[in-house]
Amino acid sequence: MLTRTRSRGAAVAVTAAAALALSACGGGGDADAPADLTGKDVGAMAEYAVGDQFRATEPLSFSILYSDHEAYPAQDDWLLWEELQKRTNVTFDRVIVPRSDYEEKRSLVIGAGDAPMIIPKTYPGQEDPFVASGTILPVSDYLHLMPHFQAKVQEWDLGAHLDTLRQADGKFYVLPGLHEDVWQDYTIAMRTDVLAELGLQAPQNWQELRDVLAAIKQAYPDSYPMTDREEGKILLNMVGMTFGTQAGKNWGYENASWDAEAGRFVFTGTTPEYKAMIEYLHGLVADGLLDPETFTQDNDLALQKLANERSFAISTNAQMIVNDYRPALENVPGATIEKINLPAGPAGNVINSESQLENGIMINADAVENENFVAMMQFIDWLWYSDAGQEFAKWGVEGVTYTKSPEGDYALADGMDIMLDLQKSTGFSGGVFAYGGSTELLHSTFTPEELEFQAAMAQKDELPLPPPHPFTEAEREQATLWETALEDYTQQMTLQFILGQRPLSEWDAYAAELEGKGLSSYIDLVNGAHQRYVNENS
Amino acid sequence: MVTSEKLAEKPPVRLRKRPVGVRESRGYRAFQVVNTVVLLGVVAVTLYPFLNIVAQSFSDETAIRAGEVNLLPEGFNTTTYQLVMSDDMFWRNYQNTVVYTVVATVIAMVLTTCYAYVLSKHELRGRNVLIGIAVFTMFFNGGLIPNYVLITSLEMKNTIWAIVLPNAISVFNLLVMKSFFENMPRDLEEAAQIDGLTTYGILWRIVLPLSKAVVSTMTLFYAVSFWNSWFAGFLYMDRAELFPVTVYLRNLIAGAETATSTGGSGDSLLQVAANIQSVTIVLTVLPILLVYPFIQRYFVSGVMLGSVKQ
Repeated sequence: MLTRTRSRGAAVAVTAAAALALSACGGGGDADAPADLTGKDVGAMAEYAVGDQFRATEPLSFSILYSDHEAYPAQDDWLLWEELQKRTNVTFDRVIVPRSDYEEKRSLVIGAGDAPMIIPKTYPGQEDPFVASGTILPVSDYLHLMPHFQAKVQEWDLGAHLDTLRQADGKFYVLPGLHEDVWQDYTIAMRTDVLAELGLQAPQNWQELRDVLAAIKQAYPDSYPMTDREEGKILLNMVGMTFGTQAGKNWGYENASWDAEAGRFVFTGTTPEYKAMIEYLHGLVADGLLDPETFTQDNDLALQKLANERSFAISTNAQMIVNDYRPALENVPGATIEKINLPAGPAGNVINSESQLENGIMINADAVENENFVAMMQFIDWLWYSDAGQEFAKWGVEGVTYTKSPEGDYALADGMDIMLDLQKSTGFSGGVFAYGGSTELLHSTFTPEELEFQAAMAQKDELPLPPPHPFTEAEREQATLWETALEDYTQQMTLQFILGQRPLSEWDAYAAELEGKGLSSYIDLVNGAHQRYVNENS
Repeated sequence: MVTSEKLAEKPPVRLRKRPVGVRESRGYRAFQVVNTVVLLGVVAVTLYPFLNIVAQSFSDETAIRAGEVNLLPEGFNTTTYQLVMSDDMFWRNYQNTVVYTVVATVIAMVLTTCYAYVLSKHELRGRNVLIGIAVFTMFFNGGLIPNYVLITSLEMKNTIWAIVLPNAISVFNLLVMKSFFENMPRDLEEAAQIDGLTTYGILWRIVLPLSKAVVSTMTLFYAVSFWNSWFAGFLYMDRAELFPVTVYLRNLIAGAETATSTGGSGDSLLQVAANIQSVTIVLTVLPILLVYPFIQRYFVSGVMLGSVKQ
């Protein structure tokens, strides 16, 4: 008797001491080990593996930050919520945020400690500011709860992609959307009737594009054959990518580029590839082939130029050509506009493979204290990462909202003509839940024209991924100061060089000015962080 | 004899059209011309975008895309109006805006008037401290997150109080009212006091009726500012049916612009049509437009003249 009480007393004392020790270092995001999950599996499935339908063992409710799209505002009576509850026994406690200011609200609620458990619509990279504060969960520690996610990462070979998301502690903090293949959506759209009229072929690379534009200019001297929307950033992104660099603020530009030959990071804005890109675009502007207003005009103005036949080529994705360009050209007799194959550049017939990761989910760090944590992770795994879940999110209920032919072709049910009808009336196919998934699912909503385009894209080579260079908290603060100044100045000068406001002969002066803004210090910081990552993780 | 002759010789009075009073100098007239031209220019520049939006709201979408709509609608139709007005959420939010504005303006006016009246009495003890507190908030703010935490912990989130209370007193309006009350003659109030009126009675029956000009101006300022405010609604409301219509409108117009870039889900750049945007703008602005002309008649000038013999 005595020995048992003593040993039990000792056990209690040890546990208490351990608890004290753990509590001292836990709760601030400092804990290196994942939290202990005993007692957190209320409502979770005991056996949950790939191919299983998640169903909570008791009704559960999870709070979610919902980005409300103005074209299909959230309704309480959506079939989506009803069906989800039927299948998974889960309801959402929705915090509705207008899409226009989703990011502000997200920062605010996370900063105030009032964030919902699930925070979707977070693009890889957007979780960086929240990492240091310990308010979001290092999800990489809990992947063992998500079999579908792990299976997809393995099947689609996304390990290297996930590595680009890792922070200084080797963990990543956002669950990205996963795509089976690289998905290049953007390219140039051209007036194919004008091309036919002038006996021109659709260009396959940027030089050919230039020649085609020149021919159009000859036939229509008062026009600017090419214009662009989104302030030219799509164009910069595409040209940059195929020239072996990155361009377009928020459209792919990163201050640091990986130079595979040198084995280190270099500053994007001063590389020879970046200069070549600027020279190409400057050539277009100088010859009157690219509208100089491209980089400053409103989207509406760009559309008007297309509608008024003052321009014949513009950047596009699958949606813009259907929703914007074809309607704009309705009043022009015989006008046809089509996507051309993304032109190849000096870097080859390439596309960026970064699009395999897409916007994803952050989890509130407090969620791990919740007794339903395991159930929540399983639920997220099912809805966003399983084939069944993604098909459900995208198409809805078979027989009710869609039909599937024996060959695997999806079609909307009667009463709905376009995806927007589905989105508005039932909530399926919304941007918050339906985005990733297999190529088959992705292609299920594509028109035949788009499928053809994607087939051509699949022929292209993929650019290699840059290795990660995660910063520590102190480094990140320092880096942010330099990054903004460098990026803004580079963007400004890029525009000036392209438009000819600054002669390209002043390139070295420009590089020197960037030096003055901390270029070397920043690049050294990046390379140091990369080296540390390599040392710690190899 | 000579005088009468002289008088008889006086030429008859000629009636000449001549401006009575001070003759305007050439310089002043030149100024008037330039002034009018410049102001007409300003009116044109201000009015043009507004008329353009009104024209767009009645136009055909294709025509807008082609840039054909200027001051007059092309392809005149009212279908967009019918479409927007049949949206339940739009009316819900509209109702919210009306309710928020009315309640907020009433509360704001009551608080501001009381505070200003009290501060206008120089003999008030601690007056400088009270003014100091008000002015301090003009320069220093708690910040976004502390404000949010405060409102949330007071459990005002998702209620009307989160919109109506935090910005109830505009210090600028407060100071204007204070100086107006300070300029009112003391004799009026003293006379009323002698007649046995209490302080509240003086405020209600003597001071306020004479302050119609400033009260209506401030009411209008507050009303317009609360009508236009979207930020408080966006910050503190979690449900779409509690948003004011300005948040609805902002999402409609700015939703696509703030969406991020590459690799995004296909609908991130999907935008609502221009004519729907312009219809919503017109409907949101309409009440304020209609209210303005009617407030004008309360700006009675010279109301103080002759009330007290100096």
